Amino acid sequence: MPHVSHDRLTTQTTDSVSAPRASLDQRRRERFARVEPRGARVHTARERAELLLDEGTFVELAPLKSAQSGAGSGVVTGWGLVDGRPVVVACHDAAIASGAIGAVMAAAICRAQRFAIDSGFPIVYVNDSGGARVPDGIHALHGCGEIFALNVEAQQRIPQISVILGPCAGAAAYSPALTDWTIMVKGHGHMFLTGPDIVRAATGEDATADEIGGSGMHTRTSGVAHLEVETEVDALQSVRHLLSYLPSNTEARLPVGDPVPVNPRSADALPTVVPEKASVVFDMRAVVDGVLDNGARLELMPEHAGSALTLFGRIDGRPVGVVANQPAVRGGILDSKTSVKIARFVEFCGRFGIPIVTLVDVPGFLPGTVEEGRGIITHGAKVLKAYVEAKKSMRLTVVVRKAYGGAYIAMGSTSLGADHAWAWSNAEIAVMGPGGAVGLLHRRALAAADDPGALRDELAGEYRENVARPFLAAEAGIIEDVIHPEETRDRLVSAMRLLEHR
Amino acid sequence: MIDAKAEIVGNVWKILAREGDQVGPGDPLVILETMKMEIPVVAPAHGHVASVLVSEGQIVQEGDPVVEIDDTLGA
Repeated sequence: MPHVSHDRLTTQTTDSVSAPRASLDQRRRERFARVEPRGARVHTARERAELLLDEGTFVELAPLKSAQSGAGSGVVTGWGLVDGRPVVVACHDAAIASGAIGAVMAAAICRAQRFAIDSGFPIVYVNDSGGARVPDGIHALHGCGEIFALNVEAQQRIPQISVILGPCAGAAAYSPALTDWTIMVKGHGHMFLTGPDIVRAATGEDATADEIGGSGMHTRTSGVAHLEVETEVDALQSVRHLLSYLPSNTEARLPVGDPVPVNPRSADALPTVVPEKASVVFDMRAVVDGVLDNGARLELMPEHAGSALTLFGRIDGRPVGVVANQPAVRGGILDSKTSVKIARFVEFCGRFGIPIVTLVDVPGFLPGTVEEGRGIITHGAKVLKAYVEAKKSMRLTVVVRKAYGGAYIAMGSTSLGADHAWAWSNAEIAVMGPGGAVGLLHRRALAAADDPGALRDELAGEYRENVARPFLAAEAGIIEDVIHPEETRDRLVSAMRLLEHR
Repeated sequence: MIDAKAEIVGNVWKILAREGDQVGPGDPLVILETMKMEIPVVAPAHGHVASVLVSEGQIVQEGDPVVEIDDTLGA
């Protein structure tokens, strides 16, 4: 590979160190004059880095590094501040060989990754690359593999966020998949193994780039990406917002903000949010709004597997990851996709010690041939594993209505290690729902009854009152206490304040 | 024409929509019963109900069309 030219550049730079500083800066400005972005792009790679970071804080790593003298490496790497905290960035430069990843570019990205891991700073990858650089041959492949290896190493130490601001094919799609969260820009961000032409040649399928790997595909159907935004600037602002909830690394303290009271209207509504009839759906966001600090929220995967909510917010100024069933979508059931979504979120929070608040109203895991065929047992088990392993996080669980069977266990129960769990007074916690339980326990009586329907309703009512009410769980010590909805926030706040002393 | 589809496997519990009804996005058309939950199938767009494709007590699978909506303007 053409390392010779790189050496020559280094020599030139050394010579110019003796020259006045102003002269060096001038030469740099000329060498790296703004390269006009191509196509739908609005900003250059450098401008993207500067937009992400606090104004005037961007420091570039090895700005002269090039495959060919003066050409640049194909990626702008460096560090700067986000809300005053250091963050490393690597922005693909689509103006150079369409951002294709060659050996020199891969080395530059790996250097930034190494720097981020060793320093304990989050890293943001701004992706806009056609994939491996074909003229670099196996050197390009090797370089891509080295990026992946560092993506995996970084998982154990720092948050990694990917932004997709252009086509990301092949190797360029896999690195984001090894990071924690991926944000795509509608219309011009794409991720796929290969684009439309090669798909057509390989399988005969005729599909557009958007159909194969647009933001709609990945934020609704596949779950490969976690947030869809309208513009480049929105994407970079979303990264800043996401970082505001995250510690810099697995050992760092949580970014605590000023406590903000709950929205008073949402708090007032809390006691009447949940319909009395267990079969009637409602919007769990109203419960979220009734307990979290008023203000910013960041919901991840809002359009994918909507029967569960995963979002970041704050309680008493401290960041929390909220996991909640969403009865308003598909009744709030757990299925394969929902399980993968929850497990991923809980695993992330656990890795960084972000407190996990779980709000439960779940009719169960969806049974049947379709879900068994999708491997719901394997995927459901991922939820169990994620909660058990999230030992660094304070885990707080509130059962607001139904929690039956396996889904009760999975949704952050104390059996999996929750620090505290509470249930609202109308909640039902039981091994199975009243309908199924009555059918099993009273099969003979029901078969002999003159009016089985009436007997069933009567027995279900008894079961609901005598077996499923949460006082049994509280007496057994399986939950901490039975509480009124309006007490929820105070319980969460006091638990969160203990965090200071853990 | 656009179909309102079942988001989940279930039993058609109640049919609310009638042919010719004017509907808007989010309006409940049919209520499914699954896992003891009442899960509405809602209109995906403005239009009027062209036909109801299911009857009460029928089992529908995820993705099955439930109600056909005529979303052509001025229809």
